[in-house]
Amino acid sequence: MNGRPEQFTARPNELLVERLRDGLGLTGTKVGCDTGQCGTCVVRLDGRSVKSCLVLTVSAAGSEVATIEGETTRGGELSGLQEALRQEHGTQCGFCTPGMVMALGELVDSTAGGEAPTEPEIREWLTGNLCRCTGYHSVVRGVQRACAAARAEAPSGVGEPAVAASTTAGQEV
Amino acid sequence: MTAVTGETPATGSGVLGQPLDSREDPQLLRGEATYVADIDLPCTAHMAILGSPVAHAKILSIETKAAEQLPGVLKVATAADFTDVMPLPCIWIPGGVESHFPPHPYGLPGARPVLTGDTVRHVGDPIAVVVAETPRQATAALAAIAVEYEPLPVVTRADEALAEGAPQLHETVPGNLNAYWTCGDKDRTDAALAEAEVTVELDLVNQRTINSPIEPRGAVGDYNAATGEYTLYASTQGPHNHRFLLSALVLGIPFNKLRVIAPTVGGSFGTKGYLYPDMALVLLLSKALGRPVKWVDTRTGLMNSTVQGRDHRQHVTLAGTRDGRITAVRCTSYANLGAYPSTIGPGVATALMGRSISGMYDIDAAFCEVYAAFTNTVSLGAQRGSGRAEAAFLMERLVDRYAGEIGMDPAAVRRKNLVPKEKFPYDNGLGWTYDSGNYQLNFDKAIELSGYADMPARKAEARTRGKRLGVGLATYVAICGVGPSTRMSQEGMLGGSWESANIRVHPTGEVTVIVGSASTGQSHGTVFAQVAADEFGIDPDTVQVLEGDTQKAPYGQGTYGSRSYSMAAPAVALTARKIKSKLIRAGAVFLGVPEDKVVYEGGRVYEEGNEQNTKTFAELATAMWYGWGLPAEIEPALDETTHFDPPDFNYPFGTHVAVVEIDELTGETEVVSYTAVDDAGHIGNPKIVLGQIEGSITHGLGQALMEAAVYDEQGLLISSDLTTYALPRAADVPLFTLDKTVTPSPHNPLGAKGAGEIATVPPAAAVVNAVVDALSDLGVQHIDMPLTPEKVWRRLRGEAQ
Ligand code: FES
Ligand code: FES
Repeated sequence: MNGRPEQFTARPNELLVERLRDGLGLTGTKVGCDTGQCGTCVVRLDGRSVKSCLVLTVSAAGSEVATIEGETTRGGELSGLQEALRQEHGTQCGFCTPGMVMALGELVDSTAGGEAPTEPEIREWLTGNLCRCTGYHSVVRGVQRACAAARAEAPSGVGEPAVAASTTAGQEV
Repeated sequence: MTAVTGETPATGSGVLGQPLDSREDPQLLRGEATYVADIDLPCTAHMAILGSPVAHAKILSIETKAAEQLPGVLKVATAADFTDVMPLPCIWIPGGVESHFPPHPYGLPGARPVLTGDTVRHVGDPIAVVVAETPRQATAALAAIAVEYEPLPVVTRADEALAEGAPQLHETVPGNLNAYWTCGDKDRTDAALAEAEVTVELDLVNQRTINSPIEPRGAVGDYNAATGEYTLYASTQGPHNHRFLLSALVLGIPFNKLRVIAPTVGGSFGTKGYLYPDMALVLLLSKALGRPVKWVDTRTGLMNSTVQGRDHRQHVTLAGTRDGRITAVRCTSYANLGAYPSTIGPGVATALMGRSISGMYDIDAAFCEVYAAFTNTVSLGAQRGSGRAEAAFLMERLVDRYAGEIGMDPAAVRRKNLVPKEKFPYDNGLGWTYDSGNYQLNFDKAIELSGYADMPARKAEARTRGKRLGVGLATYVAICGVGPSTRMSQEGMLGGSWESANIRVHPTGEVTVIVGSASTGQSHGTVFAQVAADEFGIDPDTVQVLEGDTQKAPYGQGTYGSRSYSMAAPAVALTARKIKSKLIRAGAVFLGVPEDKVVYEGGRVYEEGNEQNTKTFAELATAMWYGWGLPAEIEPALDETTHFDPPDFNYPFGTHVAVVEIDELTGETEVVSYTAVDDAGHIGNPKIVLGQIEGSITHGLGQALMEAAVYDEQGLLISSDLTTYALPRAADVPLFTLDKTVTPSPHNPLGAKGAGEIATVPPAAAVVNAVVDALSDLGVQHIDMPLTPEKVWRRLRGEAQ
């Protein structure tokens, strides 16, 4: 669990999100729906993003679980993706945000050394996460910014950090 | 009332109007913010609510014994346990007309019980609650409560509820008619329609939608037996309002025995300003059990209990000349209030919609009548852009219909009828007086930016790809800045609607701003700090902002109707000005010069002509805290409060252009570009407002394309989760092209107008206009929302609506 071993006995019908929130007090992972639709509960299981409301705790035994709490120390420096989302104001009420960060982290990581994802690819990736506040636009810009920064920092030095973050004209609304 | 001069914003430190990063964001990005569901008080017990599975029935009996025996169960309660609790009142009745409501003991007009004991009136109507050690135990025990129902006939449509022989919901409401409300001039409008060269009409269904904030609602009640004080933590956008309503009007406890705290709230869009049974129940049960009681809703629970929006069936008519001059507009609307009057739902369905129908146009005669009816559905309430979106929809559909009828370009018709700049303030003849506007400038900018002139070529090009391209325009005026208390009382609002701010300057020169408003994701902490810092000419990082706790903050009505920046921010600015003027008076003492020689500028005072003789803001703060040497007429310390009640509302406006492509084979509608030019006056933080505009447009597109609350004939909400109720996802929206115009409001000292939800007002109209444009050669004149591929596909094949 976020790099630390955790040992406990789980009921057979216990959901991973219940264990995280109620059992372990990791309340950064949110519950927004009853049906696996909203993505507020996304965590990474062995590096892949999953909806923790659809995973039984017992089936996660022996796996590495990463939650939003593991992305940064409490109050500590933001990760590259979080920082990019901050700069683009990719969050409003913030309820969808931890799930988005966990889902998008996989995308940013997986493309860090190679081709940056296109805007439609980012939108496709985000399809499992609902946000009612932002309309996703600032989130998309944040991912583009994060990918550009990750590429600039990659050892091969591929890519320029300055991608067109958005074709949205007149951002001074 | 506070005097308002309409001056432009102060530019003390220049931080107002800057796109500062949101200071709230880092905590949200780390998942460290506390929402209601994250609150974990010691010894908390958990509540679950049994909602009715049927839409209309008499309750013959409720048997709770079996549930009480189950493991972990602490209490099962029904209506019989709360006979001394008053029902939840409705505080916005339609003004000036006879209204019928279920009664409330305080002589208030509208009410619903905290638990229903005799007759259930919608699926989800709360009947009983269980409190148990764990949430799972509480939920499991609900299944063991046996309720015997005698079914009653069901009605879910407003027009049908008003028909002869319709099922009756409330004994005290004959014919299910809550109110027949009108605005405008009926005779003049009817005469104009009779004499008109051209009239066009439409029958519109503005479908019911569900706001669906991503955080479901929740509440924690904590009663302290030693002090007799109650604390409610709730996902609310108006903690002060909830305190007032719950203490005085529901629980019957002294106002100062109830504290309401809004923690971080995960979106609201109107829904979390309402009073719900659960808020009272957690407090009552906490007292009964001597433990904190917590309740967190599920998505399906939310869909069946939290107020829903829109839901009008309308017959609308427009009259005009052959050459494109609109002479009259008329609307008859059947509004569906749901089963009970929600806190302010009846006002939303009447005044907020009806008075707005003429939009940005200068029309000689206008009239709107609304029949507001009760039905066996979830109560109606506000929804992002509420009332104003419904109004813009009908008007903008009519204008397109009219343009088609007279063979004129829809843009040209609109341009011709915009209220001219010289006519402000403009009385729209329906009850609103628009404060300021330059509609031509705004309209032209949107037309230009959208590439409107190129559309014929783009249409032809699209056809070569098997697509039909359509372009749709929509303009709007959104009443915001709710509001002037007296004016709102005329609309039937039972309560003041001013806003307040307190500012305390600490001895070290840092500042705390406390507002009565409460954020549901609008970065108030950032923006209100900008306002205060700008006034004082200091660094915004030294300004702390508090809100959302009735024990800390001065009164205020909260965040709704895009009012925080044009109501609470002016209160902050005016309070800062009070402090500045005190600093000038005190500065005269400290600098040893007459008051008229003291200049306050850039975060310090100095002697005019002798800038060496100066004191910084921090030095002044310290000196005022010591209070040494102050004359009797100057009190020590810096602590001021303002209650801002503007002289009138403010009226943001804008023009949106949607371009869609319809797939000839599948009927699928894709929004390929979207241009919006909005005018919200002076904006405090453009980065934050940009996010709100983008989110708002997406929300509006949702209504046009996919969202619908669907009830079957039995009154069962079929679309009761996110697999059956579609919300826009990231791949459903294109990037938008956005710009603004700036027309300051004269009704507040920042020149601000509402911004947060205004861009939700026109998208539904713009998209439907675009789709109808794309299908117009097939003779299509209207399609009801949502524009699902199947519906469009059928029209492509010539089927009737
Ligand atoms: S809570 Fe898991 S997807 Fe919604
Ligand atoms: S920021 Fe509110 S739901 Fe995404």
